[in-house]
Amino acid sequence: MSAAPSSLPDRSLPPAPGRESAVPMPDFDRFATSRGVPVFVAPRAGVPLLEIELQLDAGGERNPAQRPGLAAMTASMIDEGSARRTGPQLSAELERRGGTLSCHADWNAARLRLQLLASDLEYGLDLLAELLYEPAFPQHELDRLRQQTLAELKRRADQPAAVADEAFAHHLYAGTIFAHPLAGNPAALDALNRDELLDFHHAHYRLERGAVTVAGDFDRARLATAIEAVFPASAPAHLDSRSEASAPGGPAETSTAGAPSRKLRVVVVDRPGAEQTELRIGHLGVPRRHPDRVGLGVLNTLLGGKFTSRINLNLRERHGFTYGASSRFVDRKSRGPFVVSSAVTTAATARAAQEVLGELRRIRTEPVAPAELDATRNYLLGVFAYGLQTVEGLSARLDEIALYGLPLDTPARYLAEVAALQPAELNRLAETHLCPDEALVVAVGPAEELMGQLQEIGEPELWSPSCAAI
Amino acid sequence: MLHREPSLPLVAVNLWYHVGSKNEKPGRTGFAHLFEHMLFQGSANVGTNDHFRYLQEVGGVANGSTWYDRTNYYETLPSRHLDLALWLESDRMGFLLPGLTAEKLENQRQVVMNERRQRVDNQPYGRAMERLFELLFPEDHPYRWPVIGWMEDIEAATLDDVRAFFSTYYGPSNAVLTLAGDFEPAAALASIERWFGGLPAGAPVQRVRAPLPPLAHAVRASMSDRVQLSRLYFAFRTEPFGSSGWWTAAVTANLLTDGKSSPLVHDLVVDRQLAQDVSAYVYPTEEVGAFLLVATARPGVDAERLADRIREHLDGLAAPAATASPRSALGSGLDGELERARRRTLAGIYSELQTLDHRADLLSQYTTFFDAPERAFHEAEAYEQVDVAAIRAFAAARLGPANEALLVVEPEGVRS
Repeated sequence: MSAAPSSLPDRSLPPAPGRESAVPMPDFDRFATSRGVPVFVAPRAGVPLLEIELQLDAGGERNPAQRPGLAAMTASMIDEGSARRTGPQLSAELERRGGTLSCHADWNAARLRLQLLASDLEYGLDLLAELLYEPAFPQHELDRLRQQTLAELKRRADQPAAVADEAFAHHLYAGTIFAHPLAGNPAALDALNRDELLDFHHAHYRLERGAVTVAGDFDRARLATAIEAVFPASAPAHLDSRSEASAPGGPAETSTAGAPSRKLRVVVVDRPGAEQTELRIGHLGVPRRHPDRVGLGVLNTLLGGKFTSRINLNLRERHGFTYGASSRFVDRKSRGPFVVSSAVTTAATARAAQEVLGELRRIRTEPVAPAELDATRNYLLGVFAYGLQTVEGLSARLDEIALYGLPLDTPARYLAEVAALQPAELNRLAETHLCPDEALVVAVGPAEELMGQLQEIGEPELWSPSCAAI
Repeated sequence: MLHREPSLPLVAVNLWYHVGSKNEKPGRTGFAHLFEHMLFQGSANVGTNDHFRYLQEVGGVANGSTWYDRTNYYETLPSRHLDLALWLESDRMGFLLPGLTAEKLENQRQVVMNERRQRVDNQPYGRAMERLFELLFPEDHPYRWPVIGWMEDIEAATLDDVRAFFSTYYGPSNAVLTLAGDFEPAAALASIERWFGGLPAGAPVQRVRAPLPPLAHAVRASMSDRVQLSRLYFAFRTEPFGSSGWWTAAVTANLLTDGKSSPLVHDLVVDRQLAQDVSAYVYPTEEVGAFLLVATARPGVDAERLADRIREHLDGLAAPAATASPRSALGSGLDGELERARRRTLAGIYSELQTLDHRADLLSQYTTFFDAPERAFHEAEAYEQVDVAAIRAFAAARLGPANEALLVVEPEGVRS
């Protein structure tokens, strides 16, 4: 390398940026098979990887009222054996090819997601079709997964962050299916039987009402041919042989989940001797398709969605109450929660909660300075390309478009909307969508200390961990 | 190191300092990590919190991390802001101390104490790894204490400690800088020269050397925790990161537990249902490696029974195929298992190499440890070279009872 520079650089100000270069927009497309199955594609050459997802309208929101956990268990059982092969045979064959399969349900959908080497395209589609059309739901595998899930619920009760999340959902969504953990509760899991899984599968695993998404390195024509071959024009007979009227699980009971509580509520979940308090503060947010969703994303980023957000700088850098604090609007088809999360010094729990509520109030009443909005806007516009580096990143965006029925040019629209947002609009969004005085505050920690401390926020209700977890 | 990959207008800037918790002394632990926090608190020309502010307001993603052997700092940002990242990194490398105050140290001490509570003390099984490493490494060995440090040591750190640490370890001669992404190499080199060229190199740092042979005999301990399921933590000393013995250990870990069809997951979780989960992995440590195997018992399953079954598998792996115990599937059929482990590892390597952050970090890692950046993109070949014979030899030499450290975490007595 050359010798030391002849003059020292001026360090007093940040250097000016170079010329801007355009970020290539993802090349999303869609087509339908002759049977009407929507297929969403995002080609990305260069790395020989593929990610394929079958997305089915069989998520947790389809759980019948008495069966929390049914959607999750049905999805988990999908790869535990087919009419052709046992579960262990399925996983051994796939894994020997280097593939990874995940079958799970979230609140919105059941997802059969396969990551594999690009050369295994046809194999992967065949496998997914086999799982979709011919699952065997073997009784002994159900019994095993039931026990494993029950043990998992026990284990979650040991994790303060998980207890806080579940207690928050329990109270926020009281009276609806969303009040329960996705994995269900012990009573429902004990009662769950194989016929219920078969019925749920029959009613909701309908690909024509879901989607196939494919991201990565593939040839478009070869993909179309392969998909047509595995999801042919007429559905396999056994799927059409039963009436849909027997379908368990109606549409989600979202209508009853809409009303926020009228006043601030404080819930303490006792964890005696805990070294820290897990804090959750929030209320209902908006459905993903709400017209304000993009603006709320900007608002949230400024408020609690990045390291330099107001809430993190306040709780962590100004006060040292925590290692980190963040907020988010959780996306669902129905109203997901808006929640601020942090693990704080127990002695400072009430002060931390007051600071969070104070930040929520402040952004509703004080105008946001244009420079602060610009810093947030530029962050979001800049990090957009970061998410495009990987097949997984592309796939996540594509899955979202398929799930919520968003336009294919959603990325470009998103960038345009973020770029155009005005400070006054941010305040309108905050006034409309943030409700600090009707918030639910959940604190998981030593009740002995928290009950007295939190009086200044509101009259705390004490819950035992077992209630909160169920 | 410069690695050009211009498919997106992004650049990853990655800086490794060859200092970690192993450079600390007992009684003064956690300092390398606390120091990492102080590096985000501003420097002569950068205000408190402005490091993140400058980077985030141009769309950058930034962080740092501390490990036994090294500390890294990294950001990925739109490539036109490359000079901003170099300015920030060079300002804290050259001019940290003018920005340092007791108030900042106190604030970050509180943050780190909360980090420890959140990640360790208030987590189920949170203190298990600390206890395990006290079994695996002898008194005064630099891997014996946790990277985040003991709480009382974090409390005791002073401003003078911060100053001394900076002068000793944070000079250019103890650092590796890597750029990966969209840049023009000549212009990038000129920028690096502009921002870093005038910084005094600093005295060379004497590397801490702490190799260890296998354990002489088995060690074990148990502890209770606020948990409902028992868990076993096995640890075995291995050869250090980057050696052929370490690669063999890594492949063996994947062979044993990577994927539902892997022999331990299949046998313990699916077939016999003794375990809720099981996973094996290796630590990429520079002085001596560690092969870890962690298994959570199903409710009602005796931890000893689970431990015995795991040992049967390890024995099966160590025995020559012809004389293997029929009690473990690992006595034979290893070729197929190895094929699975290799393919999945390869898919994992392809997947990780997609991001500029990871590429940059690998280049810094291989340069820091071995002065061999070219090895960064040949990890797949290192895995490919491991064969069945090497795995059996590794299991016989390293995974036997004589080299075994075992920690059993049991639920506390029934709570009211």
